[in-house]
Amino acid sequence: MIKSILKSDDFKLKNCINYIAVIAVLVLLTVLNSMGELKASSMNLFVQIGYSIILAVSLNLVVGFLGELSLGHAGFMCVGAYLGTFISMQLSTVIESKVICLLISMLCGGILAAFFGFLVGLPALRLKGDYLAIVTLAFGEIVRTVFKNLPWFGKAMGLSTNAVKFNKKDFPLFIIVFITVIVVLFLVQNLVRSKHGRAITAIRDNEIAAKAMGINVTYYKLFVFVIAAFFAGVAGVFYGHYTTPVMYTFFSYNYSIEILVMVVLGGMGSINGSIIAATLIPIINFKLQEKLPGDLAALKFLIYALILIGIVIFNNAPKLNAFKEKFSVKALIARLTAKNRKPEDILNDPAHWDKIPTKIAMDEVLSTDIQAGSEYVPDKPGKGGK
Amino acid sequence: MKKFTKVMALLLSLSMVLAFAACGGNTEETTAAGGEETTAADVSYDLTKEGDYTADNTEYVIGATGPLTGDAASYGISVQQGAQLAIDEINAAGGLNGVNFKLDMKDDKATAADASTGYDALFEAGMQASLGSVTSGSAESFATRAAEDDVFSLTPSASADNVINASNNSFRVCFGDPDNGIMSAEKLAKEYENIGVIYDSSDAYSSGIYDAFKTKMAELNVTYIEQSFDAENNRDFSTQVEALKDCDVIFLPIYYTEAGLIAKACVAKGCDAFLFGCDGLDGVASQIDDTVTNKISYLTPFDVNSEDAKVSAFVTAYETKYGAKPDQFAADGYDAVYVIFEAMKALGVNNVKVDPAELGKALTATLTSADFSYDGVTGGMVWDASGACVKEPIIVELN
Amino acid sequence: MSILFDGLSLGAIYALIALGYTMVYGIAKMLNFAHGDIIMVGAYAVFVTLMGGGHIALAIGISVIICVVMGVVVEKFAYKPLRGASPLAVLITAIGVSYLLQSVSQLIFGAAPKQVTIASMGTVTLFGAKISLSSILTLVIGAIIMACLTVFVKKTKTGRAMVAVSEDKGAAMLMGINVNRIITVTFAIGSALAAAASLFYLMQIPSVEPTLGSMPGIKAFTAAVIGGIGSIPGAMIGGVLLGVIEKICLSIPVLAPYTTAVEFGLLIVILLVRPIGLLGKKRREKV
Repeated sequence: MIKSILKSDDFKLKNCINYIAVIAVLVLLTVLNSMGELKASSMNLFVQIGYSIILAVSLNLVVGFLGELSLGHAGFMCVGAYLGTFISMQLSTVIESKVICLLISMLCGGILAAFFGFLVGLPALRLKGDYLAIVTLAFGEIVRTVFKNLPWFGKAMGLSTNAVKFNKKDFPLFIIVFITVIVVLFLVQNLVRSKHGRAITAIRDNEIAAKAMGINVTYYKLFVFVIAAFFAGVAGVFYGHYTTPVMYTFFSYNYSIEILVMVVLGGMGSINGSIIAATLIPIINFKLQEKLPGDLAALKFLIYALILIGIVIFNNAPKLNAFKEKFSVKALIARLTAKNRKPEDILNDPAHWDKIPTKIAMDEVLSTDIQAGSEYVPDKPGKGGK
Repeated sequence: MKKFTKVMALLLSLSMVLAFAACGGNTEETTAAGGEETTAADVSYDLTKEGDYTADNTEYVIGATGPLTGDAASYGISVQQGAQLAIDEINAAGGLNGVNFKLDMKDDKATAADASTGYDALFEAGMQASLGSVTSGSAESFATRAAEDDVFSLTPSASADNVINASNNSFRVCFGDPDNGIMSAEKLAKEYENIGVIYDSSDAYSSGIYDAFKTKMAELNVTYIEQSFDAENNRDFSTQVEALKDCDVIFLPIYYTEAGLIAKACVAKGCDAFLFGCDGLDGVASQIDDTVTNKISYLTPFDVNSEDAKVSAFVTAYETKYGAKPDQFAADGYDAVYVIFEAMKALGVNNVKVDPAELGKALTATLTSADFSYDGVTGGMVWDASGACVKEPIIVELN
Repeated sequence: MSILFDGLSLGAIYALIALGYTMVYGIAKMLNFAHGDIIMVGAYAVFVTLMGGGHIALAIGISVIICVVMGVVVEKFAYKPLRGASPLAVLITAIGVSYLLQSVSQLIFGAAPKQVTIASMGTVTLFGAKISLSSILTLVIGAIIMACLTVFVKKTKTGRAMVAVSEDKGAAMLMGINVNRIITVTFAIGSALAAAASLFYLMQIPSVEPTLGSMPGIKAFTAAVIGGIGSIPGAMIGGVLLGVIEKICLSIPVLAPYTTAVEFGLLIVILLVRPIGLLGKKRREKV
């Protein structure tokens, strides 16, 4: 399994555009940072974007590829943030370097979250659809409630992570986050394109048929939950190293929903879509926070809500499909290029046969005039066949 | 379509990088971050220096974050209104040497992460001194970020000790949680027999006071009945009141919104216990009506009905502006702005583009110096080196 | 004993909200996350009417009308364009509507909680416990509403059409049922139930704020799932069960902070034993 995830069997440039984009951003940012041209707010925003991408891509595995609705992703992040950062704080008494503490605790936080992912995956074997959604939501709330009452994690005060939090003078956190994003993208994309990925999408499309094909549904469902929880845990560890204190309030189901919004806006089953949405939403949030201070803050929520409703309706409303096809960029390009093409080109090129205006041909057939006085020949009865 | 999204992703990320980078200033960190102790005596600062982001300032900018939306929004909005009132008054009186002040308050929904991004936005918009944040978790987040830039923060209402311990230029206007808990325990243990407590296990303020209360009561060897709730999830207090119905006094280390509901639950359950609380209870008068006959009192630095000229002037001005009586959050916000103003006046700041780090060091030194005190609507205040505010509580009684 | 009664009356509120959830889910097959916020709208309507000196009966009327109009309008503009789209898209719009209602009410009424004064109906002593009449009323009216709904669904033409739509939309359409109209009616009924719930909520918890609806909404949804989503008596049982469990947990000091965890834990256990909820109908899956 691991082998097939690590080796990419269909290497094509178009599959790598997102790596290139992320790497390009990373290199650019690193250069700008070393020149001192990067604002603190941008650096922090990129950390947020980074962990949002990890969250959105991993949730997309569950929602988009496995086809199960999960409303508890923030719960896994919460496990990673509390436990992972706690481990990191213990380590920081022994190890001086924050980077090494972070790397070790990323692994620990991820594994602990993955364990919880396994636990949540178990009911997923029995439950479907919205029932599973409410169980994941319940899980997220349970985790939060437990952490806010445990004395080792500061109870309602939250876990103060000042000892391991990355400050301005430390190694820039966003570099580590972005490298992790690349690793996560690599693992997830290869998983999706491997035979295991095809098995997972087969379960989404029809579980019973997938079972009949000999796919081990139990195994794959648990596997997806565990993997997604692992990545969410890693994102949580980043959160704990990015801000202090780690507080239970952040990981409410509202945040799970925000991650889900990223996945749905980006398009379920589209990794690149998740990346774009996970980039845009933190930016929108930050810009709204920046531009709407004081009394205007309540408008922020309003605008966010309107954007959300607008985009979803525009993207999904069946009635708008005709409109979208007519005015989409693609159709525009097609129209512009079609003018320069001679009719013979279309006829000779099988790729364009779907563009032959069949309607006219049919009209000609149908409008064959019956001349006055000509003999009426009734149609012969059909010989079966529709 | 797929290819299109990929190209979009690429373009988007590139344009973003350029957008963020293009306006980037120099953020090279030269000053030491918080944690390295500097004593008040050997602090040197240069108030003529210009900051990186303050070059375009035409007013002194005081920043803050707080919950302006969401569950805790009422607290954040109170602070914002109180602080804005103070700013307006200062500006109407000619500002500081003719230079006006401006309050810039961002929403943080009471989360640490948003307080952190809010801090970024404020700092890069030219903030020179700050009111930190309103709730404890956010204020701690804000203070640790502010410490990195040596920005002064004086939180009006975040009472947890973690906030002022986060850096040495972080101060507060309100009481600390442990002070509240200890004072209440001493008073109640002395005066009453059957003591009950209802606290909010999900809230930092409430559990902070309760922990101190619990320790003190154990020390005094007094027993009491405890009940808790989780403000996020429970708003129906019939069970808790039922359990404590025979107590003489119920200690409520919580905020006034829940306290109002508890008072009404007492009416429904026929419980006539005396309700005693801390500064969070201020404002409870707006949440109860004539049906509530229980005696209610609380320890607070601020009394909205006080005869004091300063307080009544503030209350009148606030009512004229916002159409409601101020609560303790508003009073704290109001005082916090005036403290910064007075401290800047004492320092003789006369440079609208003053560097926040230099001003931060100067303000820290001023507040901790022995001869600085401020007499505001929440009483006379002095600050110790930890950043805690020392002031006398008064007891306000209702009914 | 008194804990049990407190639990029952809290449970009755959850049950009323859960009824709205379950009806909308059963027929439109969507999680209406904005349902809790409709309650908030209803509560503000009651608050405003009472502030304006209106009688409590007038407040109920206005609250029902406003909630029904709100429910139908939301359905028309936010959910109807998405009929036939993926259920997740509808879920996200519902969340958007929930945010929208919250922020609009904050803009209108401010964030501070407002107290609502509803004249107390006094208390009675039953089995040695003091119980307020309003909580008994909540229970009784809750039961009546449930009975009416059951009769409505079983006996009336519209009710039977609802069952048909929830069983098979396509077949219902072929039988001449106007599916869109049925869904609108469902939303109207669900919203009217929300208005009723808001009144009982205010009797128990006399304070309104913009985020009032979110937690009862989630709890009621949990109750609906425990009872078996789509089942009317199930929602009632789930709601009452949840209310009682919550109150019992709160009365035990050690357990009290973990109340939410216990409630949701109960949900998970019930679903693991009975994946369709207590009274849910089992549906055979076809390939």
